[in-house]
Amino acid sequence: MEEKKKQKKKAYNPHQMSRTSNVILNVLMAILAFVCIFPFIYVIIISFSDKSSIASEGFQLIPSSWSLEAYRYLWSIKDALFNAYAVTILVTVLGTIISVMLISFYAYAISRKEFQYRKQFTFIAFFTMLFSGGLVPTYIVITQMLKLQDTIWALILPLAINAFWIIMMRTFFKQSVPEGVLESARIDGASELRIFFQIVLPLSLPAIATIALFSTLGYWNDWFNALLYIENPNLVPLQHFLMKIENNLEFLRNNPLISNQVQSTASIPKDTAQMAIVVVSTLPIALAYPFFQRYFVAGLTVGSVKE
Amino acid sequence: MMKKTLVMMLALIMSFSVFLAACGGNDDDSSNSGNSGNDGDEPYEIIWYTIGTPQKDTDKVFEHLNEYLVDKINATVKMTQIDWGDYMKKMQIKINSGEKFDIAYIAGSEYLLNARKGAFLDMGELLDQYGQETKAILDPAFLEGPLVNGTLYGLPANKEIGQQSVYLFNKSLVEKYEMDIASINSLADLDPYLAAVQQNEPDFQPMATFKPYLPFDYILGDELPFAIRLDGDQTKIVNFYEEPETMEILKVMHDYYDKGYLVGDAGTSDDPWPLEVENWFVRKEMYQPTAELQWARSAGYDLVMQPMHQPITFNGSLMGSMQAISSTSENPQKAMEFLNLLNTDPYVRATVDKGIKGVHYEELEGGKIKDIMPARDNYRVPTYSLGNHFILPLYENDPENKWELFQEFNDDSIAAPTIGFYFDAENVKNEIAAIENVRGEFAKIILHGAVDPEEFIPMATKKFEDAGMNVVMEEMQAQYTAWLAEQE
Amino acid sequence: MEWLSRPLRDIYKNRIWLLMVLPGLIWFILFAYIPMGGQILAFKDFRQGHGGFISNVINSEWVGFENFEYLFTSNDAWEITRNTLGYNLVGIFLGLVFAVTFAIILSEIANKKLAKIYQTGMLFPHFLSWVVVSYFAFAFLSKDNGLLNNIFSFFGLEAVSFYYESEYWPFILVFMGLWKSVGYSTIFYLAAIVGIDRSYYEAAMIDGATKWQQVKHITIPMLVPLMIILTILALGGIFNSDFGLFYQLPRDSGALYEATNVIDTYVYRALQNNGDIGMSTAVGLYKSTVGFILVLLTNYIVRKIDEEQALF
Repeated sequence: MEEKKKQKKKAYNPHQMSRTSNVILNVLMAILAFVCIFPFIYVIIISFSDKSSIASEGFQLIPSSWSLEAYRYLWSIKDALFNAYAVTILVTVLGTIISVMLISFYAYAISRKEFQYRKQFTFIAFFTMLFSGGLVPTYIVITQMLKLQDTIWALILPLAINAFWIIMMRTFFKQSVPEGVLESARIDGASELRIFFQIVLPLSLPAIATIALFSTLGYWNDWFNALLYIENPNLVPLQHFLMKIENNLEFLRNNPLISNQVQSTASIPKDTAQMAIVVVSTLPIALAYPFFQRYFVAGLTVGSVKE
Repeated sequence: MMKKTLVMMLALIMSFSVFLAACGGNDDDSSNSGNSGNDGDEPYEIIWYTIGTPQKDTDKVFEHLNEYLVDKINATVKMTQIDWGDYMKKMQIKINSGEKFDIAYIAGSEYLLNARKGAFLDMGELLDQYGQETKAILDPAFLEGPLVNGTLYGLPANKEIGQQSVYLFNKSLVEKYEMDIASINSLADLDPYLAAVQQNEPDFQPMATFKPYLPFDYILGDELPFAIRLDGDQTKIVNFYEEPETMEILKVMHDYYDKGYLVGDAGTSDDPWPLEVENWFVRKEMYQPTAELQWARSAGYDLVMQPMHQPITFNGSLMGSMQAISSTSENPQKAMEFLNLLNTDPYVRATVDKGIKGVHYEELEGGKIKDIMPARDNYRVPTYSLGNHFILPLYENDPENKWELFQEFNDDSIAAPTIGFYFDAENVKNEIAAIENVRGEFAKIILHGAVDPEEFIPMATKKFEDAGMNVVMEEMQAQYTAWLAEQE
Repeated sequence: MEWLSRPLRDIYKNRIWLLMVLPGLIWFILFAYIPMGGQILAFKDFRQGHGGFISNVINSEWVGFENFEYLFTSNDAWEITRNTLGYNLVGIFLGLVFAVTFAIILSEIANKKLAKIYQTGMLFPHFLSWVVVSYFAFAFLSKDNGLLNNIFSFFGLEAVSFYYESEYWPFILVFMGLWKSVGYSTIFYLAAIVGIDRSYYEAAMIDGATKWQQVKHITIPMLVPLMIILTILALGGIFNSDFGLFYQLPRDSGALYEATNVIDTYVYRALQNNGDIGMSTAVGLYKSTVGFILVLLTNYIVRKIDEEQALF
């Protein structure tokens, strides 16, 4: 018995791939990850380079001189910047919670065979993926019917539901929540809501983490709703705030005669500032990703502990 | 089953649209009742959208100004600025959605489009009724140029009427190589100087990327093939790419490209060549009086210029900055009365432009002014987008005769042939849509000199023709001929 | 009373499910179905007026299909349709293959820490806007100072004007499109793999199945429903393109249109200086309708094969 196991391990290990293929796959993935991160590193480098070296050499990987000017500029507007961070964080957290709740409820209902109208409601959701409302009518609903302009709800509600995620979620629910478990719970007399919260949700953590992640990314990166609905400078979220700075810098640089009318200070380093803006708006959310990642790997480790 | 759902949903959409319509109707009613209230003693609040970064002290300045305005015209103004990049996107949605506002800054093609769609009220009529003083001080060209089907829909800011392309040179290089720039009359004359810079100054690109000046009055922007010659037959619309001057100038451009005076990627470049970066020798800019002072200030080093032509008044240069009164305005009379003050009352104009006297700026002896720092940085709005320039106070370092220089510039401007002519593209929308794509394909690479014009201009012309250029040209010529006849 | 009581009874029977979909339903009505009324604009010549949007729409003239014409009358109609469909089909197919492959590899890599790092890395492109990516690409491809051309000249090769020669662009566009999106879609499949019941693998291991056999007989079949759904949905967007990929990345270079012009960029240029809301609504409606028909069609086929896998 002992002997046999050893032999088997040498021939192949059913739990793991062979050492060689593991190494090959690791190298492959490492290259891939590098190709993906590389432009970001480049962005960081440019954000630290000197604007005169950009002017003379273009965007180089190793600039001839370095500078903190871009970050000094961002620091000079730190009050507004931190305020924008606060708005974005509030909107993202609140929005993600609302969005995950609405989506899981809807998706769970249409994933169950017991729900007589599941096909109709799937269709109602799906239809909105293809036929969108159009900008102006949506604008009227939000500003004239709901009167949400200049509130954070104008940033939260339009992004709360996405039919694509509902259908995604429905597929997950169908697959990872076995009918048998639900049946036995029902026989024990548990209500559907209780089943949902106590059995379905814990079983679907990876899926919920996925939706939460995408929802978070969506809220974090959104600038368009702010462009449409926010005029109060205190409610401007990060991405739109930074985008406005970028556009303003670009416009004024292209129109020196106008920039003289509205700027007293010397020129702002446009290219490096743009890259610094990418860095400060991306790094926090990229670093938040591992938080969600836990739930993707959790299931796997449970599996491997069991073996 | 599916069919039933579909029918159900259509019914849903319909019924909600009706519901929404009812909502819109309600809004109307309330606005009507609001309207009648305005005739009483309550001051009317004018909602004014204008371009530029929102300023910290805007509310403060307008609170101050409103005291004056209530006395004068029984109205207050709420000015909202929208950032440079957002302005037109946001205004277009406000306009399309029929949102209520009174005045908006508007310029160029966006003015024409929205005026044609009925977004603005007839400015000519309002000027006659409530803005006689403004009408009197405006340069007459402003009342003739921005007409849509014969009607003026916006109030232009009274400033320079023409435009003039100039070559701008880096002064230190001009002096170092003792160049005689006053003798430069054409693009070809630049050659020896560009060669000198290329040979001796590796840190400088001889030419920044630009489109050369071509002597045409363009009907639909300077890249679409519809233009009228500024010299010669002014009754005929031509494809300017095919005119002999164009070929000649573009050959020079392409020669410069081949010689490496221009950057290799000039054909795709949108690089603005920022003034503050001293890496170019010659560029093209649009001049207005005293611009040289401002360029030098932006650049931080010395510049010299050489005009390419006399100032010319184009439709485009007359529509550079306007205020339009929205067709959703509840009280166009008050809006016009305010615009009238903004263009004729030096106090109102100065306050809107520079802030509160004694807080944001101070008056020096002799009537000139000086910014009070750092307060002024909390209120900096763009001068060009607001109104009449000629009643603004001068800064201490402004030339004494600044407004006289503007006046001279305006007097020197020659009127382009199509002033007041506006092409209505309604009947040829589909052709224009296709032609715009051909423009995208060819205009920049040809005009920036990146390709051989002898090969590419015939190619572009062929594609323009395939896209329906001749149909558009015919329609345009017919409208233009009819318009010319009307003028007589 | 039967006609009324039966539906009422059904509704009562389904009340708990209906309660669950209710918040979503309200959202769909407010943010999707009411605004959908605006699609009418595709058939109108929209004019502004005094009475607010709705009355402006009602008072605008009906023009039938006039707003759609420019999409079909142009000489480029074939080119842009070919490009849009081509890039999308290749993108859907390769995207599926790569996302599934990477998800499986990531889930199988022994060192979970490393797997996490790779995964985080692959998500980064999602954060960069096309404008920023286009600067980066330009640093590689530029004629004067580009890294690639510097390398070419180092080896004595002739410089390539990437922004003037369209033959390279189908590859660049497909590659960059995948580069940006695969990390994101990998997460879907990864989440699905994680959700697979571990007992299947344990049973397989007891039977002595190799890793490859496990992947082939457990993981991939379990991912099929997700693949089908994602593909059906992707077909719905077959006429849409990632605008920045086709506009910003090639720097809107005219010489490349043959390879880069898609419906979205064509319409953008066509309406850039005209801003006609009717014409832009028309193109949206046209794209949606084609996508809708495609989805119904594929869904029908899927349903014939396996009812359970269908979308509805």
